[in-house]
Amino acid sequence: MQTSQPIIARAPQAPAQQPPPPRAKPAPERPPEVPPEFKAEPLLGSPPARLIEILKDPQATVFQKAKACQRLAVIAGKDAVPALAALLGDPQLAHYARFGLEPIPDPSADDALREALKKLKGNLLVGVINSLGQRRDHKAVDALTKLLDSTDPAVAQAAAAALGRISGLRAAKILEDALRRTKPPVRTAVAAAGLVCAEGLIAEGRRDRALALYQSLMRPNIPQPVRLAAMHSAFAAETSLRRPR
Amino acid sequence: MSSTATTVHRRQFLKSGALAAAPMIVPSSVLGRQAGAVPPSDRIVLGAIGIGSRGAYDLQAFLHQKDVQFVAVCDVREQRREVVKSTADKHYGNRDCAMYSDHFELLARGDIDAVLIATGDRWHALLSIHAAQNGKDVYCEKPCSITIAESQALADAFRRYGRIYQAGTQRRNGGNFVLAVELARSGRLGKLRTLHAQTVQAKSMPPIPSHDWLPAEPEPSKLVVDWDRWLGPCPWRPYNHFYVQGRWRNYFDFHGGSILEWGSHTADLCQWANDADHTQPVEYSPEGDNRGPFAVHCRYANGVMMVLRDSGWLELGSCSVRFEGDDGWVETGDTSKMESSENLREFLHPPSDYRVALENHVRDFLDCVKSRSQPRANAQAAANTHIACHAAYIAFQLGRKLTWDPLKAEFVGDQEANRMRSRAMREPWRI
Repeated sequence: MQTSQPIIARAPQAPAQQPPPPRAKPAPERPPEVPPEFKAEPLLGSPPARLIEILKDPQATVFQKAKACQRLAVIAGKDAVPALAALLGDPQLAHYARFGLEPIPDPSADDALREALKKLKGNLLVGVINSLGQRRDHKAVDALTKLLDSTDPAVAQAAAAALGRISGLRAAKILEDALRRTKPPVRTAVAAAGLVCAEGLIAEGRRDRALALYQSLMRPNIPQPVRLAAMHSAFAAETSLRRPR
Repeated sequence: MSSTATTVHRRQFLKSGALAAAPMIVPSSVLGRQAGAVPPSDRIVLGAIGIGSRGAYDLQAFLHQKDVQFVAVCDVREQRREVVKSTADKHYGNRDCAMYSDHFELLARGDIDAVLIATGDRWHALLSIHAAQNGKDVYCEKPCSITIAESQALADAFRRYGRIYQAGTQRRNGGNFVLAVELARSGRLGKLRTLHAQTVQAKSMPPIPSHDWLPAEPEPSKLVVDWDRWLGPCPWRPYNHFYVQGRWRNYFDFHGGSILEWGSHTADLCQWANDADHTQPVEYSPEGDNRGPFAVHCRYANGVMMVLRDSGWLELGSCSVRFEGDDGWVETGDTSKMESSENLREFLHPPSDYRVALENHVRDFLDCVKSRSQPRANAQAAANTHIACHAAYIAFQLGRKLTWDPLKAEFVGDQEANRMRSRAMREPWRI
């Protein structure tokens, strides 16, 4: 091969220095070994009756009970409800108990959650309220209405959110009343719940009632994001092709 | 200051005319008169929540935009707060970036227009909803949700509050992927038959994550890592540093496995190609096992099939998609190389820099924040993609064919599957 002449003569060069060796990228840390007591596989294949036994067993570990609750969420029937409900007051397992209870279609799960409202306080009570809202338990409306006036703002806010999700004419009236008598931060939660409640009313075909609720959410004492959302939602309802004409 | 004093926001102040009357010198940069500078009224004030390695990459793309002013970071990890503040302060040559460990404090700031969220999947939907409730627009990393219920709540919140949402599915703004989608949507492929979406290979990330717990370690001080906040709505488990160092993937409570990990990108492109951003497939048939290879065949009501699969690709890079119609096919991936049937070669363009996709995607979001129009990966489109991926994930976990009703948002005649649509959140969190 013919080599081309350099256009500019090369200046004498110092002996080529070896480039520094590339800095080795540290290997990612290997995951720690899972200890045998934290392996879920044996538990996840257990039938519901065995999982319920674990929940009742005072010798069972938190891990075993936690995994039993998570598995029961998918496969449990009403016979698992008492064992799950018994854990609603356990600070370490209360959430796992709701994880199991919340998806059980049987109404006994609602009954158990409603019963727990009378016994719990603070965060555990908030969790149960959230689950009742998630299940849209209409029978909980009276109890939730009382909790709107709780001295614990977190409880009152949770009650408002649950009422919004449950929706319906009663919940709408309760939230409207609460808008007038509550103060931030509870009023903020009541207002946000009002938006959700109004959407439920529209889905039920109670458009006029929803529009009235939106009006009450447009008042100046309502936080701006909710006010704007109420205007936006009312506008959407008023211009919808499905509106009465 | 009296308790009745009205808060005057920066923009109101600038618009009020007080500036003209005040005898003071205002630097030209503040008024946006320097070459390339953007006046404050056109800047988007940004905060960020949960910025690890991926979030830092996103943040760089935001910092490259001249109309972005990044002002605050929130993280439950002290070290990450410090790193992000240092990056921002170095970028702006000041020490103004504020740090928070409670996201409600950041979201309460009236001067912040939008937030970047990159926490980890467990927090994505809930934080996005909190941001919308506080009047913020959101750019959020994917996967955007842990369950079908979270996906629906996300779309509902952004519709309800009229906020702008962009999922971090930047391939919707990547040239090769957009071209492939265009070929499908424009009819160049003929009648669409099968859309293929790549998932992570099961051998490196199984479709069903582990239910195990790592060994318990002593919890650090709340100032260093707030473990309770890190877990957020997820079930409690003992602390292990491994989760917090970004290695939370592959655990059921925190992650949706390989289907959600890449499906949130690739099923998303299939949804778009099939003009199905408003809906989801109606049947899900799984095959294979958790060690791979595996696939989930998802049939749309219009007859088109989407196949989520982890193997059998042309090696065009990660997150590949392949669209097949009666008249041709096209396949592309993260190398941005494209392959197609002979009749479509004239339309293909040479590979480009894949990093442009992220810059374009961020720009799309910022433009929509200003115009109030919907970006490409808006909340509704993202929610439908995620619902499709979660439905496929549930079918794979149950190991049976499922039928899905997109209008009722429920599986037909399968109670177990329906019970997997949501998970109770740890108190006090809720959607």
